[in-house]
Amino acid sequence: MVTDSMTNASIPMAVKDFAKKKRANRSAKLKQCKLDARREQWLSQVKNKGCKEETVHERDGSDRSMENLEIKPRGKTNEGSIHHHFSDLDSPSNSPSSVSGSNLSGTNFTGSSGSSSSSSSGGSCSGSITGEDEEGGLDDWEAVADALAADDDKQEQEQHNPSLEPLVENESIGPLDSPNLAPEIEEVSEAKPEHVEKAKRVPPNCRAWKPDDAFRPQSLPNLSKQLSFPMNSGRRYGCGGGAWGCKSVISAPSSCPICCEDLDITDSSFQPCLCGFRLCLFCHKRILEDDGRCPGCRKQYDYEPIKGEATLDGGSVKFRLARSCSMITRS
Amino acid sequence: MQASRARLFKEYKEVQREKAADPDIQLACDDSNIFKWTALIKGPSETPFEGGVFQLAFSVPEQYPLQPPQVRFLTKIFHPNVHFKTGEICLDILKNAWSPAWTLQSVCRAIIALMAHPEPDSPLNCDSGNLLRSGDIRGYQSMARMYTRLAAMSKKG
Repeated sequence: MVTDSMTNASIPMAVKDFAKKKRANRSAKLKQCKLDARREQWLSQVKNKGCKEETVHERDGSDRSMENLEIKPRGKTNEGSIHHHFSDLDSPSNSPSSVSGSNLSGTNFTGSSGSSSSSSSGGSCSGSITGEDEEGGLDDWEAVADALAADDDKQEQEQHNPSLEPLVENESIGPLDSPNLAPEIEEVSEAKPEHVEKAKRVPPNCRAWKPDDAFRPQSLPNLSKQLSFPMNSGRRYGCGGGAWGCKSVISAPSSCPICCEDLDITDSSFQPCLCGFRLCLFCHKRILEDDGRCPGCRKQYDYEPIKGEATLDGGSVKFRLARSCSMITRS
Repeated sequence: MQASRARLFKEYKEVQREKAADPDIQLACDDSNIFKWTALIKGPSETPFEGGVFQLAFSVPEQYPLQPPQVRFLTKIFHPNVHFKTGEICLDILKNAWSPAWTLQSVCRAIIALMAHPEPDSPLNCDSGNLLRSGDIRGYQSMARMYTRLAAMSKKG
């Protein structure tokens, strides 16, 4: 199990010191990278919740990633390699000392994490857990834990199985960082309770980043540039649509001009014709059965109205809007 | 049925509230039947119908407002688009150009506009239409004015 990774990495104690020196230089960059990756995952899962239409599709993806996280560790080493996913993302920045390690071990994960050059991924964690070096890693760790906890809270509702595993197993990465095997095993056992405690402590906070966290503002603008982050555009459109929807709801008549019944939410978001004439779905259906012309402009309702998504989107769009708003206020 | 009733009731309230809004139109609902309406409209100025008051009868179908109301003149009128005997009106918005967004009030306005701008090319009253199509504006106007005096003005006027 872990011994593999250690031998693969073939990194003696010296590397740890080396890494420690380097850590000071790189830690900021690495942490940011780390946070980006975490946040990316976190947001994509948030999106899963937000967007019902893509939920199935997206969740497949996330499930798969979760499976990766779960299965790989089982297959190869123990929980440690859970971090494979992240270390992949981080690997460019990790590379200086982990190149050899990643080359050696097919998974590259074990190598990188073993080499403790992955201080970004696990370093801060191990820092807080093992107590070897504090250097503000605690903040970082808590921030990540916050993000993950918030993540998992939501995930628990949808999928019970994988919910807590990443959390628990993630923390075992910290131990992996330490080049000594023996202490690592101890620390794994130690770290778990500690982490659980942290996880328990985290939810009241419920914040992915502290307002004064120096790393967060920098990571935000990067997100929009990351091509590997497909939900950005989607979210933008969603927000725009939300704003547009809200506006149109406000300006909508309160009752149907045809039958004079009150318009409910579904009717209010119903835009059957480009001319802007609004009516309730009931009257629209009756008109379609009759001559099928818009009462406002007398043109045929010959195209598919924009109704379906608009109404269905309503909830999710609002949700996304609220979330983005809350994130803005946070920063 | 229910929809048309609700719609007519709303129109009724609208009429009551805005009685003074359009002094040329007096729209009233039958006391016992909300599907029967009558209207009094004033002949537009600078037309042969000026000074006359014309009575309209509305018969609202149950499919209203998806189907247009049936409207006819109860007062005799000499107009190319109104049948001289039955009072039937040839107006596109009462036929194929009807829109459910229209109301009885707007129908009255359309009829007033029709009185001011006759369409001799689709006549119900051929005599009137022929006068206009032949360019005899004076003949048409004098005939229309005569019938307005005979039928649409109080006897003492």
